[in-house]
Amino acid sequence: MPATSKTAAQVLELERYKHGFITDIDQDVAPRGLTEETVRFISAKKDEPDWMLAWRLEAFARWRALEEPNWARVDYPPIDYQDIHYYAAPRAGEGPKSLDEVDPELLATYAKLGIPLSEQAVLAGVEGAPRYAVDAVFDSVSVVTTFKAELAAVGVIFCPMSEAIREHGDLVRQYLGSVVPVSDNYFACLNSAVFSDGSFVYVPPGVRCPMELSTYFRINAEKSGQFERTLIIADRGSYVSYLEGCTAPMRDENQLHAAVVELVALDDAEIKYSTVQNWYPGDAEGRGGIYNFVTKRADCRGARSKVSWTQVETGSAVTWKYPSCVLRGDHSTGEFYSIAITNNRQQADTGTKMIHLGAHTRSRIISKGISAGRSSSTYRGLVSAHPKAKGARNFTQCDSLLIGPHAAAHTTPYVEARNSGAQFEHEATTTRLSEEQLFYARQRGLTQEEAVQLLVNGFVKDVLQELPMEFAVEAQKLVAISLEGSVG
Amino acid sequence: MSLAQALLTGDPGYLPSRREEAWRWTDLRGLIRVLPPPAPAFCGDLPLASFAAPFPTEEVVIVDGQGPTGLDIPAGETRRISLRLINAAAGAGHVGRVRVSLEAGARAVLLQTHEALAGGYVGETQIDISLGDGARLERLVLADDREDAVSVTISDVRLARGAVFNDAVLTTGARRQRLETRLTHAAGESEARLLGLYRLAGRRHADLTSLIEHESPGSASDQLVKGTVDGQSRAVFQGRILVRPGADRTDARMGHHALVLSDTAEVDAKPELEIYADDVSCAHGNTVGTLDDEALFYLRQRGMSEARARAFLTEAYVSAVLDGITDQDLQTVARAWLAREAAP
Amino acid sequence: MTALLEVRNLSARVADTQILSNLSLSLPAGEVHAIMGPNGAGKSTLSHVLTGKPGYEVTGGEARLDDQDLLALEPEARASRGVFLSFQYPVEIPGVPALTFLRTALNAQKKARGEAEVSAPDFLKLVRAKAAGLKMDFDMLKRALNVGFSGGEKKRMEILQMAVLAPRLAILDETDSGLDIDALRIVAEGVNALRAPDRSMLVITHYQRLLDYIRPDRVHVLAGGRIVASGGPELALDLEREGYDRFVDLAA
Repeated sequence: MPATSKTAAQVLELERYKHGFITDIDQDVAPRGLTEETVRFISAKKDEPDWMLAWRLEAFARWRALEEPNWARVDYPPIDYQDIHYYAAPRAGEGPKSLDEVDPELLATYAKLGIPLSEQAVLAGVEGAPRYAVDAVFDSVSVVTTFKAELAAVGVIFCPMSEAIREHGDLVRQYLGSVVPVSDNYFACLNSAVFSDGSFVYVPPGVRCPMELSTYFRINAEKSGQFERTLIIADRGSYVSYLEGCTAPMRDENQLHAAVVELVALDDAEIKYSTVQNWYPGDAEGRGGIYNFVTKRADCRGARSKVSWTQVETGSAVTWKYPSCVLRGDHSTGEFYSIAITNNRQQADTGTKMIHLGAHTRSRIISKGISAGRSSSTYRGLVSAHPKAKGARNFTQCDSLLIGPHAAAHTTPYVEARNSGAQFEHEATTTRLSEEQLFYARQRGLTQEEAVQLLVNGFVKDVLQELPMEFAVEAQKLVAISLEGSVG
Repeated sequence: MSLAQALLTGDPGYLPSRREEAWRWTDLRGLIRVLPPPAPAFCGDLPLASFAAPFPTEEVVIVDGQGPTGLDIPAGETRRISLRLINAAAGAGHVGRVRVSLEAGARAVLLQTHEALAGGYVGETQIDISLGDGARLERLVLADDREDAVSVTISDVRLARGAVFNDAVLTTGARRQRLETRLTHAAGESEARLLGLYRLAGRRHADLTSLIEHESPGSASDQLVKGTVDGQSRAVFQGRILVRPGADRTDARMGHHALVLSDTAEVDAKPELEIYADDVSCAHGNTVGTLDDEALFYLRQRGMSEARARAFLTEAYVSAVLDGITDQDLQTVARAWLAREAAP
Repeated sequence: MTALLEVRNLSARVADTQILSNLSLSLPAGEVHAIMGPNGAGKSTLSHVLTGKPGYEVTGGEARLDDQDLLALEPEARASRGVFLSFQYPVEIPGVPALTFLRTALNAQKKARGEAEVSAPDFLKLVRAKAAGLKMDFDMLKRALNVGFSGGEKKRMEILQMAVLAPRLAILDETDSGLDIDALRIVAEGVNALRAPDRSMLVITHYQRLLDYIRPDRVHVLAGGRIVASGGPELALDLEREGYDRFVDLAA
């Protein structure tokens, strides 16, 4: 089986967490702690208009009145919110305008991560290979965004959020917080007060974005949190595919990542949002790793709009994340494809919400959870149909695979149907790797590790094929690495 | 927090509220402002059990929570028992608890009926069921509550090694009704089949909640709940299967399937799997839908009126649950109950 | 004398798509007519419109059974007047034994016609006799209707229902689809046994094969939503040889 041995070879090439290095770079950091002053500091650093500062301050006031949620099936020591740097930036000045201005050390970092930030490098690639516009976010700031000019030619705005606030204030003001309200939940509220950077995308009516857009998030600074904010608006009849990747150095401490992503799809628009989340997961004993507490939500506001979330979650010590779709427009569609892999002491509580408000709305959920080591993985989801959602349809398939006797897998779906025309179908299974299949593969000459790899790839195939091809290859490698050492 | 605690203390602060995850769809705090007075001792004649006909009975009667405290079936014996839980006092509250225990190798068939002689009652009854090694119990519960009643029934079932429990719960709901089953496979190699059927109309509410715990290896659970909601009724299904570490070779299935027959009716479901052992095979399925147009047309093409065709398909949809009842008398009783409910 | 079924200038659509346009057809009592045509010609739509399946909108024309308007009636009223459709894809009904279903249908029709309901023993006797004629295992009738039945068993079950319900007009929609040659022969024999002077049949099929077993009195070609040619049984053989192409052109 050549494909398998090739995969196995790739596995051997890669280290367990190859993104665990630290970039030594001059930092501009806010002092630890969170007060109104911190919020003002961040806003000032970003040279924001008054309305933005007011928005942040209101969020901060509300956040102080909220309590950290505890309903997720995750367990971590209390977070000291006063012991975090809420702002860290490479001391290269704000928002470089061209690649030449970017610190070579940073470019080297992204090159090491396999992310080409040079437009020429991409253009020099194989003819016909898809191109990616990249927004690279390093700790609290965006260091560079590529292909901006080419995108601008068709009217697509793709820039750091901080720049959008300054230069496209009206659009930001209209949509920011319109999908995830300021006080939606504890972490989203915190993000609203202290968010640093992230990506902003606007695709004008009828435009099919000519290339994939992607953002690479990198946490580098010690004792820092990352609070990015992403807003994507697909105007009537437009299409955009957006990719997101995340990595962080190996550190003994836990670092907080509390992002908010808002998507708005107007009439006939489509957004495809893919994530490969590979934040540092901590070591085998559960020391260190990222707390990944993220709020992602799409508003299918227009008729016949469509949003598709695809995620491959292999990193982070603790994940708390439910990319959701509010299906408001009639005939709108929401999709959620997820692979969540936990190993060692990782904990993941992830899933989706499909809120059917409009008539003839459709949703589809395919979730594949794999738990190994002493980890725990929970699928948590909600599918609801409101009285006006006549003819709403949902299909959910939710499978869990257990590897080893100490891993845990949970499935907690909520279903709420409030009209007679809705049709919801949910199926879930929890099994372990089949001994017979493993033996069969080994009898044909595969090693135990290769056999596991083969079966796991089969298990997650339905979701992998939803990813853009380049990401699918990377994701497949990640799956292999994440499970390394999980079988004896 | 429990209704029983609230009734015993008279303090509504003990009532479960929607803020508690386990009661999110069955709010009692918001419903009951003042707890009713305790039911007076019952004096008078009891009517005959309405479903006793084909059932040879040894009758145990509990009225407003008062009556015998337990039923013990000695090792190796076989019994057929009718357990009648009767709500007699109008607008009164009561708390009851009864024990059903089968020693090793004992067998029993139990017909448990919830009957009402008056309305407006608020009651909680707990039934503690224990099955010794190799014991077998088949139970049919007919929950016939009044539409203005609030009723909580908790069955706490413990299965010893090799025990078999076959349970079917049929209900038409109440103002608020919760039928909760907590079942533990305590010593391995035991089997449980939990069947449920609800037919809700008007403003009725029924909550079928279950927690099935596999504590030991080699046990099997098979749960199937089907129901229909019409009018402004609301059905709640919360099923949780918990497989503890070491409970290898667990085989657990859970299915909940509902038909929503009206635009103002509601179905809320949460089928959960919580698994801490890897050598298991667990699955759950949940569907919510409406009658199939194609089937409806097929029946009309053969000459049935639309109303008739609907009733026909609806009854067919839920009746599959009753196939799982193995005792022939209980099967007959259950079908008669369904036929009564299906009659226009 | 008017025919048993008279269809005049019938037009119908589904959602925004016009499927039948000005279709006319006359089926005298006692005759068997075949409707043939390419896929998508509107064959199944014709059967659905005649039986009143929801979702179709009649935009013009009429259909009369025994000179009475058919299109204004509910599906069940058409059934009790004797319109029977053998479904191309018979529906599975879990939880309902076939016997229970058939008895309920028969009595519903009798009641609608003001006839006395049939007693359980008489019903069983009737069904036993008809099932034997179709070489059906009687125990199969105790199982849920069509659940787990093979394609051949489902079609036989349709013909059994037709035999028991004794319709005036039987519409057989692609009854041959999914049948092997033995099943086809048994089904066809069952249908032939039901030919009677006061009963008419409309046999809808894509292939000539079925017509080797059920000899039609006339053959109509349906293309583009209307009848484009009619003739004797030899027309079916022509079609088998030459295909539908020239009729598709005719319809255009």
